Amino acid sequence: MTAKDQDATARHDVDADSGATGLAVPGGLPTTAGLRRVMVPPGRAFDLLIVPTEGEPADSGDWIERARLWTAAPGLLPKQPAAHTAVPVLIPLYGCHVIWAPARGAVLGPTGRLDQLQVSLLEFAGCEADLADLELRCNRLLAATEGDAAAAFEFDERGPDRRAELASRFQEAVAVRRGLAALGPAVHVPPVHPPTLASQLAERLRDRTRLPERHELVTDRADFVLQIYEACGQRASEAAIARRQMGLEWAIIVILVAQLALMIVELLASRNST
Amino acid sequence: MPQIAIVGGGPGGLFTAWHLEQLATAPIEITIFEATDRVGGKVITPRFTAAPVHYEAGAAELYDYSPVGDDPLRELVESFGLPTVALGGSRVYVGGRAIANLDDLRDAYGDRACRDLGNFDTWARSVMTPREFFASGSDHAGSAEPSGRFDTTLAALPSREIRHYLETMIHSDLATPPAATSVAYGLQNYLMNDPAYMRLYCIAGGNEQLIDALVARLAATMRRSTVVEQVGEGSADQLRLTLLGHEGRREADFDIVVLALPMDALGRLAFASGSLAAAMQRHLAHHDHPAHYLRITLLLDGPPHTPTDDDGYLMLDAFGGCCLYLESAREPEARHGVLGWLLGGAAAESMAAWSDADLVTAALATLPDPLAVDPERVLEARVHRWTGAVSSLPGGWQPLSQDQRHRPAAKTHPGLFVVGDYLYDSTLNGVLDSAEHVAGCVAAELTDHAREI
Repeated sequence: MTAKDQDATARHDVDADSGATGLAVPGGLPTTAGLRRVMVPPGRAFDLLIVPTEGEPADSGDWIERARLWTAAPGLLPKQPAAHTAVPVLIPLYGCHVIWAPARGAVLGPTGRLDQLQVSLLEFAGCEADLADLELRCNRLLAATEGDAAAAFEFDERGPDRRAELASRFQEAVAVRRGLAALGPAVHVPPVHPPTLASQLAERLRDRTRLPERHELVTDRADFVLQIYEACGQRASEAAIARRQMGLEWAIIVILVAQLALMIVELLASRNST
Repeated sequence: MPQIAIVGGGPGGLFTAWHLEQLATAPIEITIFEATDRVGGKVITPRFTAAPVHYEAGAAELYDYSPVGDDPLRELVESFGLPTVALGGSRVYVGGRAIANLDDLRDAYGDRACRDLGNFDTWARSVMTPREFFASGSDHAGSAEPSGRFDTTLAALPSREIRHYLETMIHSDLATPPAATSVAYGLQNYLMNDPAYMRLYCIAGGNEQLIDALVARLAATMRRSTVVEQVGEGSADQLRLTLLGHEGRREADFDIVVLALPMDALGRLAFASGSLAAAMQRHLAHHDHPAHYLRITLLLDGPPHTPTDDDGYLMLDAFGGCCLYLESAREPEARHGVLGWLLGGAAAESMAAWSDADLVTAALATLPDPLAVDPERVLEARVHRWTGAVSSLPGGWQPLSQDQRHRPAAKTHPGLFVVGDYLYDSTLNGVLDSAEHVAGCVAAELTDHAREI
C-alpha cells in the first residue's frame, strides 16, 4: 500500500445509483476504491464498497480489515429478528474477498472480477433484505397470535368488535406468505455447474447466512400464523351468521307473539258478539 | 446357532456384521477375522507424532447421494450421531494457474474453450442423469450406460486445453488413466463435481470414527491378528477355514463365510476344493483391474499460506493429476497445517517404490506459487501406499448381476459370499451397498433354514 493510499482523509464519492451524497470511502484504502449506494428491495439502502486489487490480495489484509470494520459500523444495522446475523460475513473467494452485512457490503478483488461480484452481492443483498423484512413481519404476527389465538376457537362478546383488526392481520399474514412464496425460487436456487464466480459467491452467501433454512423456518411460522387467522376468520364469519340468525329468530318470535295476540283479540271479540 | 465367519475387518466386514446383526431374526454367532491388529482397512485416521493432529490416510471423503435418493451411508453416519463437514473444491491448477470457475477458464483459454466445456457438460448430463448416476452399479442401472473407453470420449473434445483440464480434474478419483476406464466411470467422476449429482463430506474429527462407532456397537467376536489361510469344505455343507493366529494354526467350520477382502488379499487366499478354486479364479479374473493410490501427508508448523477459501481440496496437474487436501482448512482453529496429496493411477504405482523423503520432495515441488511451502516448515511427513487397493472399471467391462457378484460359487458352495468396494465403484458407499446385499441374502437364508428346521 502506498503512502498516497494510506491517506487518512476519507474521500467522498458520488453515489452512482441513488444520487444521494454523504458516502465516504473509509481511509487507508487504495485511491481506486469507490462507494455506491443502491436501493434494494424492500426499499432499503445498501452501501457497497468496491476495492480493486490486483492478483491474490495477500498484501491487502489491512484493506480487508478496514473494509470489514466499515461494513460492521454500529448503528447501521436495521432492526433484525434475533436469529439474524449482525456480524459481517467475510467470504474469501479465489483471489477476491467479499464482505456482507445487512446494510453494507464490500468487494475486494482484481478489476476484471469486480462486476460479477457486485451483481451477485447486490442480488443476494436484495434477497436477504426481503427475507429479513418478511421475518420481521412474521415475528410481529406471531407475537400477536398469543392474544388472538383464543378468537380462533370461539368469539366472546368482544369478538365482533375485533373483526376488523383480525381481518387486517389475516391480510398481513397472507401478504407475508405470498412474499415468502415469491422469494422461494431465489432462496432455493440449485447450484450452478460448471460454476461461475458469481454463482460461487451466491452459493456461499446463501450458505453462510443460512438463507434456505431461514426461509423454511419463517415459512413454517407464516403457515402457522395463517392457520390461526384463517380460524379467526372462520369464527368471525360464524359469529356474524349467528348474530344475523339471532335477529331473525327474534323477528319470528315477535311476529308469532303478535299473531297470538291478534288471535286472542279475535277470540275475545267473537265471544263477546255471541 | 448358525456360525458365520467374516474374513476381513475392513469396512466391508464391519458393515456386513452390522447389517447381519440388524437383520437376523434368530440368534447367530458372528466372528470377524482380521489379519492385522487394527480394523477399519482403508478408513484410517492416524495422528502425527510431532503434534496431536490427525489426518486421513485412506478414504478421505464420503459421498452424499441424499439429494438424489436413499443414502444408507449418510443415514448410518447420522444414526451414530457423528458430526459431518461438507467438503468442496473447484480449483484446478493447470500450469501453475488456478482455474476455479468459468470466468477463470475464459481468462485462461478464451471463449471457445469455455464453450467446449459447456458442450461437454451438457453432453455428460444428457448421457447420465442424476438418477442414472445414483443407480449406476446396481441391477437397476440398465443397459444404456455408455461402456466404451473414456479416453476416446476425451479425444473427441476439440479443445486440447479442456481435455487437459478435465483429465487433471478427475484423474485422482479415477486412479487410472482414461484409457483404462469406461466412459460411464469417467463421466461419473466428472459429474460428481456437480452438486445436483452428489456432494462430498467427511466426519468431523476423522472418518475412522465411523469404524470406532461400528466396533463399539457390534456384538460379533473380533479375532485380530488372525490370518485366514485357506477356505475349504467342512462337514455337513459347512465351510472350513484354516486360521493362523496367536494360538497357532487351527481349523474351524462355519455355516456361512463372507470374504470381505481387498482384491490383492483375496488373490492370496487358498481354496482347498477344486470347484471352489475355479469359481474364485473366475471371480478374480472378472474383477481384478487394479488401480492405485498413494497418499503423502505433511504436518506443517502452522497453517499453510493457502488462499483462505472454503475449499477442502484442490487439484494439481502434477503426477498426471492429483488432489491436494487442505486438511487443516477444515478446522478454523488449527494451529498446525496439514497438506495431503492423493496421487492416483500409474504415478501412484511407479512412485510407490520411491523413498518417503523423495516423495515429500516431489510433492513439495508441485505446489504452485500461492501455495508454496518452505521445506523447513515441515514437522513430519507420512506416506501411505495403496497399490492395487481399488478397481478401475475398464472400458467395455460389463458388471455382473448383484447375486453373481456376491456369490462366486452359488451352486456348489452357497454358503460362500464376497463383499467388496471393487464390486461397485471402489467407494465406501459402494462397499456398504455390497455389505447390505450380502447381509440381506444371509439373513433371508437363515430365516428359511430356521423355518425348515
